Amino acid sequence: MSDEQNSVSDILEDNTYKYGFTTDVESETFAKGLNEDVVRAISKKKNEPQFMLDFRLKAFAKWKTMKVPEWPNVHYPPIDFQNISYYSAPKQKKVLNSLDEVDPEVMRTFEKLGIPLDEQKKLANVAVDAVFDSVSVATTHKKKLMEVGIIFCSFSEALQEYPELIEEYIGSVVPVGDNYYAALNSAVFTDGSFVYIPPDTISPMEISTYFRINTEETGQFERTLIICAENSYVSYLEGCTAPQFDTNQLHAAVVELVTLENAEIKYSTVQNWYAGDKETGKGGIYNFVTKRGKCQGDGSKISWTQVETGSAITWKYPSCLLLGDNTTGEFYSVALTNGHMQADTGTKMIHVGKNTRSSIISKGISADYSSNSYRGQVKVGKNATNARNYSQCDSMLVGDKSSAHTFPYIETANSSVQVEHEAATSKISEDQLFYFESRGISRENAIEAVISGFCKEVFKQLPMEFAVEAQKLLTLKLEDSVG
Amino acid sequence: MSDTLVESSAGSAFLDLHKKIIEQGSPALAELQQVALNRFEVLGFPHSKHEMYTYVNTKGLVETAFSLSDGSKKVSEDFVASHVYPGCENQCLVFVDGIFNRDLSRVEKVSANLVPLSESVSSDQDLKKYLSETAENENDVFAALSTAFCGEGLVFKVGDNTQISEPVQVLFVSTGGSPVMHAPRLVWQLGKLSEVKVIEKFVGVEGGYFINAVQDWLLEEGAGVSFTQVQADASDSWHFSKTRVHLHRNSRFHSSNASFGSQLARHHYDVRLQEEGSELRLNGVSVLDGKEQVHNFIRIHHEAPQCVSHQHFKNVINGHARSSFDGTVIVNQGAQLTSSDQLINNLMLSNDGHADNKPNLMIFADDVKCTHGATIGQIDKEQWFYLQTRGLSARVAKELLTRSFAKSIIETIEFPEVVKDLNSTLLKKLEVRNV
Repeated sequence: MSDEQNSVSDILEDNTYKYGFTTDVESETFAKGLNEDVVRAISKKKNEPQFMLDFRLKAFAKWKTMKVPEWPNVHYPPIDFQNISYYSAPKQKKVLNSLDEVDPEVMRTFEKLGIPLDEQKKLANVAVDAVFDSVSVATTHKKKLMEVGIIFCSFSEALQEYPELIEEYIGSVVPVGDNYYAALNSAVFTDGSFVYIPPDTISPMEISTYFRINTEETGQFERTLIICAENSYVSYLEGCTAPQFDTNQLHAAVVELVTLENAEIKYSTVQNWYAGDKETGKGGIYNFVTKRGKCQGDGSKISWTQVETGSAITWKYPSCLLLGDNTTGEFYSVALTNGHMQADTGTKMIHVGKNTRSSIISKGISADYSSNSYRGQVKVGKNATNARNYSQCDSMLVGDKSSAHTFPYIETANSSVQVEHEAATSKISEDQLFYFESRGISRENAIEAVISGFCKEVFKQLPMEFAVEAQKLLTLKLEDSVG
Repeated sequence: MSDTLVESSAGSAFLDLHKKIIEQGSPALAELQQVALNRFEVLGFPHSKHEMYTYVNTKGLVETAFSLSDGSKKVSEDFVASHVYPGCENQCLVFVDGIFNRDLSRVEKVSANLVPLSESVSSDQDLKKYLSETAENENDVFAALSTAFCGEGLVFKVGDNTQISEPVQVLFVSTGGSPVMHAPRLVWQLGKLSEVKVIEKFVGVEGGYFINAVQDWLLEEGAGVSFTQVQADASDSWHFSKTRVHLHRNSRFHSSNASFGSQLARHHYDVRLQEEGSELRLNGVSVLDGKEQVHNFIRIHHEAPQCVSHQHFKNVINGHARSSFDGTVIVNQGAQLTSSDQLINNLMLSNDGHADNKPNLMIFADDVKCTHGATIGQIDKEQWFYLQTRGLSARVAKELLTRSFAKSIIETIEFPEVVKDLNSTLLKKLEVRNV
């Protein structure tokens, strides 16, 4: 028992948002505002090929004609897109040859976050790409990955070295005008990660990107593109944090995944952006992200796992386009909201190919004054014979001021499909807690056990280190809310 | 959700038509009709992506130039008699083209309960206030349109502690044959501890018409209602209906709907469980073929603690038919100990059918039990195979399984005559083909 007691007191001490510090790094930031010149300047700054500039300009033209989506179940004051700086990068004098040359302040930041990039200390079997504000500062394990032919680098680097791959795939999953924020991202994105897994390759290690917003009033617009060629496999992790500011920051990312025949991508996210002040709701990140995977080749598979615990507002629907025959899409999500957070998240499973299958497991926990919505679409096309879907979305409410919503859209146009959807809403029952307490287990530990049981199906999909972190994160966030 | 309007020409055709109804109609209702018309103008016809009409295409309806019935078309007594259920012969209200027809109705036993809407609005200030407030806040453009065009409606009052044990039938006959629009209007007021059983049937002599009915159910403490609706309109007609239910302490409302479908049949239920202990049951079944469509649009507001609501809908989809469901259960803050469930089952028999579902939950209270489920599937192959091993032909086995799927809802209807009728008419649609 003493171990458990310790862990709770650790948690109590750590109850604040421990990633809320800022780092004093000299950075190069564009003046606020957005127009075509800014788009051209970003492209020029990054020395991009012509097709990229055309792509950006097309997106920008499209964005200007679009309206801010109003359908999500979230409320926030209108964003002034002219009051954001669209480019901020740690100032660097020259091209870096090794990690030793990275600004020590930046390195220390990542160390504080628990992401050692240092060659000696780096995590044993995870390759990391660290993105600081809008720019990728360091990528580890590149050589080892290159030995098996895997390309893992920052997006800017990929644009210089593998433009043909980018040209072929960028915008193929999320078109420039897909939605308001995707269009904005396509116009102004600055960096991100690029992964290419060649045919018949199983990635020897987990690949991960770590995002950090540092400068106030900048937006972070990164773009991730992962291509998994025939018979290959990769597991990709993504983590995010940001400092505490009173103003809201915008994070509008786009992630595109493509799997060719029999390939598989497993994409896991633990999102812990600063969520704003717990009492007043001031500050925090607006997390408006478009994530989509395309199962292009027959027999391929894309699996999304997300643990959403941060951001003032989350608006995110990792989706799967099941184009090939016998393809599989999976979505596992835990979304926790507390304080004044608002989350509208879920997935889309679009069945086009034959014998496609998808499963959705979504667990929402809302506490305090927060609002948590699941919004998901399962669409089965006319030719998707024998398509199969199972969805389950459960909500748990903690406190009588919170709210939980479920908005599933199920659309089928084929008689051979089998679609099931179920949802339930409940609270942590007093009976369960009483039982634990009667067995000598403290209330905090009891709540932790109930929550981890509630989210078990999702956590077991996460790589081990992430699962532990995710579970701790949830307990930490719910401290004070229950009991 | 944006409320972008469809081109205004369609709306203005209705506005022109409205002048007529104001000239002909009763002055007591004119105020209410005007409020509803203003609301109609504000709301406008929905575009195809309007959140309230996601799966419903109203383009054909909006573009049709409807006229108003002049009341000249007659319906034979035999036709009416053929649609009156045995046991209801003595308590039957007949509406022809949206207007209450006293000659065809049999109201001797319940005549004391019936008050024309215009009279009730003039004498009952509370009702008048309720109706105009509802019209002002209407969010469904078709219900606003219905109120704007309602003819002389009826108010059915049941006094405190009064139980009407014999079922009351309401028969809505549409003569059709040309694009005529009509908007029958009913208000049911139930006093404390009162009870009533109601069977409504919608039928058409010929098709092409647009029936747009609205009714309000106001239940006082402890009142109980058993309500069965049979939508058996002509298959090329348009059927819209809105049922508003207000439930007070310990009252209960049990409703079953059986739909034959039509060009577009849209049932809108707006139920408010306003006081503790109220109970709602909504069941529905539809058997669709050809190009028929049924859309159920349901909003259930749990406004008070300890209320219960159940919903169960089953649809059989054949041919190019489309079944859609958009239901939301809203549990308000403070409505603790709510229990709510919702289940939608769709059985797809053809490759060209569509089944769309949007079962939503919006929950603002933490001590509640709310569930929903939706399935879309086919006949269970193992069951089908089993029946064949027992000597049934593939055709008969499939028909048996399909029938029993629909029957599980039909048999919850408490009137044996309605069950008998549905078993022989609604389920007959399954025999036509594809078995």
